[in-house]
Amino acid sequence: MRNKILSAGFALALVGGLAAGCGGGDSGGSANEISLVMSNHPWQKAIEPLIPEFEKASGVKVKVQTFAEQQARDKISLNLQSRSSSMDVFMTLPSREGLQFSKAGYYAPLDDYMSKSAAYDAADFPAAVKTGMTIQDKMIAAPVNVEGVVLYYRTDLFKQYGITPPKTLDELPTVAAAIKQKSGGKVTPIALRGQSAALPFTFGPFLHSQGLEWTKPDGTPNFDTPGAADAINRYATLAKEYGPPGVVNNTFTQSSALFAAGNAAMELESSNEVSSINDPKTSKVVGKIGVLDFPAGSAGSKSTVLNWGIAMSSYSKHKDAAWKFIEWATGKATQLKLTADGIAPPRTSVAQDKAYTDTLNTETLKEWSTALGNVQANGSTEVGPVGVAAPEMRKVVGDAVGKVILGQADANAAAKEIQDGLTPLLAKNAG
Amino acid sequence: MSDLMTKSPAASGSANAGPGAGAPPPRRRRVDPTARGVWPFALPAVLVTAVLVLVPIAYTIWLSVSDRQSDGTNSGFLGFANYAEMFDNPQFWNSLKITLFLFVVCLLVETLLGLALGYVMSLDVPGRRIFQGMMLVPAITASVAVGLVWLLIMDPSLGAANQILAKVGIDPVVWLGDPDIAPWSIALVDIWQWTPFMALIISAGIRSLPEEPFEAAALDGASGWRTAWNIGLPLLRPVLTVAMLLRTVDLVRFFDTIYIMTQGGPVNSTNTLNVYGYNAGFVDHEPSYAAALQVALLVLVIMIAGGFTWFRQRASR
Repeated sequence: MRNKILSAGFALALVGGLAAGCGGGDSGGSANEISLVMSNHPWQKAIEPLIPEFEKASGVKVKVQTFAEQQARDKISLNLQSRSSSMDVFMTLPSREGLQFSKAGYYAPLDDYMSKSAAYDAADFPAAVKTGMTIQDKMIAAPVNVEGVVLYYRTDLFKQYGITPPKTLDELPTVAAAIKQKSGGKVTPIALRGQSAALPFTFGPFLHSQGLEWTKPDGTPNFDTPGAADAINRYATLAKEYGPPGVVNNTFTQSSALFAAGNAAMELESSNEVSSINDPKTSKVVGKIGVLDFPAGSAGSKSTVLNWGIAMSSYSKHKDAAWKFIEWATGKATQLKLTADGIAPPRTSVAQDKAYTDTLNTETLKEWSTALGNVQANGSTEVGPVGVAAPEMRKVVGDAVGKVILGQADANAAAKEIQDGLTPLLAKNAG
Repeated sequence: MSDLMTKSPAASGSANAGPGAGAPPPRRRRVDPTARGVWPFALPAVLVTAVLVLVPIAYTIWLSVSDRQSDGTNSGFLGFANYAEMFDNPQFWNSLKITLFLFVVCLLVETLLGLALGYVMSLDVPGRRIFQGMMLVPAITASVAVGLVWLLIMDPSLGAANQILAKVGIDPVVWLGDPDIAPWSIALVDIWQWTPFMALIISAGIRSLPEEPFEAAALDGASGWRTAWNIGLPLLRPVLTVAMLLRTVDLVRFFDTIYIMTQGGPVNSTNTLNVYGYNAGFVDHEPSYAAALQVALLVLVIMIAGGFTWFRQRASR
């Protein structure tokens, strides 16, 4: 009998412990402690060492979790889908997941916080940047950077081969062919993205520079216009004929690794990548990098421009502390400090600050700054087709272009595949 | 012969190894599993199992037949619409094909190599224990780390694999960037990681086999191959099927290495059912459709593992 009571007691204790364990995830932390989830990104690398300064000044303790981009998205999604309060602030790409997250109610709007803080000066962000962070009239995130697609090239190799850098989309394959021929196939002419989910960012400019958009004004896909197949063909040919081996698996990580190792003559990538390819610790080609605008098509040079933001989870239980962090991280003083690590500032006042412009003192950085200015002035903010199913739509585009790169389909078939694939996904926007 | 086959290797092993092999076994009081007094002891385990296993399965099945939105609301019972969508979707059939491809290729190679390596490891040679310890390293390394290291090795331009191939005059291979090669590359990593594990189980099985049948075969003048095929393998079958069953369950729900190395690409060529289901849930935010995929995966695991168990029981009868 005694044994029975003992073991029953043990069972109860075990189940009780289990139940307590299940509930424990959400309640942790005091009002002055926040949890921040970041994606592996130049901004994250630059801000992380500054966080102790914030902790000291504000008394708010920040628990930082950093993951590779895809893993960070998964972690953030998981926290939000389970309505967990264990994440207070997270990095977000409104151009990608803004509508999806907004519709699900994941973002805590920041408008009130911003208007109450006099020192914050939200009016300092350019209108286009603020529009990118606004969904259904609510500010869903605070911008942390600005980046866009530019063309990096190796000044020394171009000089050695006697080639002029490409100014137009028509010149681009000609230049790539010349590099391939003159280097005897030893140098990859151009490193660019091939991985399906990442590809639309660099493929978009091929559409936009020919005067095309992802969608028609009525919200249906625009890939049944003849120019779309032409844009696919240009991108796929470049990747297939002049890209690195295995290009369909590549994103910025692989492209920049190739370029920094000196194995590629051009790299079509985000302006952000300057922080890794122009860093003597990680790159062999510092001092030999030129930066160009995206090559012009029939409609001029129209790059893609995007801003990363940091958002507050609507399930956060420490919203005031979370705002203190956002206010500090996207405030003028911090953004100025971050420019030292190559983070292009979204704030107008910081971009014009002499303390920043004086640091743009090499040929590479001067060209980079000019190219970034043009990206901001003319770039399209639509990184991929816009909608609640944006991540899925980007994969539809990337998979179809990937098939052309692999020689499994021609550009016309890919355009049709994208048209058919996007139609039901874009229709979700209405629902 | 027949009673030797039914003997479990562990039992026969201990009978051989025990110092008092000839002495009668010590008397033991047997516990009657139907006795009511046992329940309080079993209850905690039963409850924990129910909470941790049955509840999530029941919830997943509920999700798969209802319409859960990403904001956490659920508009209720939907019938089998998610399953209908799944069977209509060519991506589901593609994923099923890839899952089965990896399962068959990896299991076959790991078992054959495991047998060969397991035999070598069962021999009494100096340094055997150190070698055994080293063999365990791939299996106890986290798959995420394994995937990341192989990703570096298989980089088409900067990776070690192609640099080694170039040294011996072989053209570079696009390990993960070619839809025809990528599934094989993934299989290669899995084989590298799990063959030693198979070999360890098999070598332990070989060492616990009774010696008499082999001695008898040697006296009868049977060749080495014949002895291995007609005596060794049948005796080893219980161990072998357990090892294969363990790998089967892992291979059918193959996820971690793929997620790290290709995320299902290029062009869905490594998109196993589990990776597909994961992306549906956490990238596309379609929890109910993802749940339907996971239920399909569960059914597949049960079918294959059940088939194995049935085969094993039939063979040992």
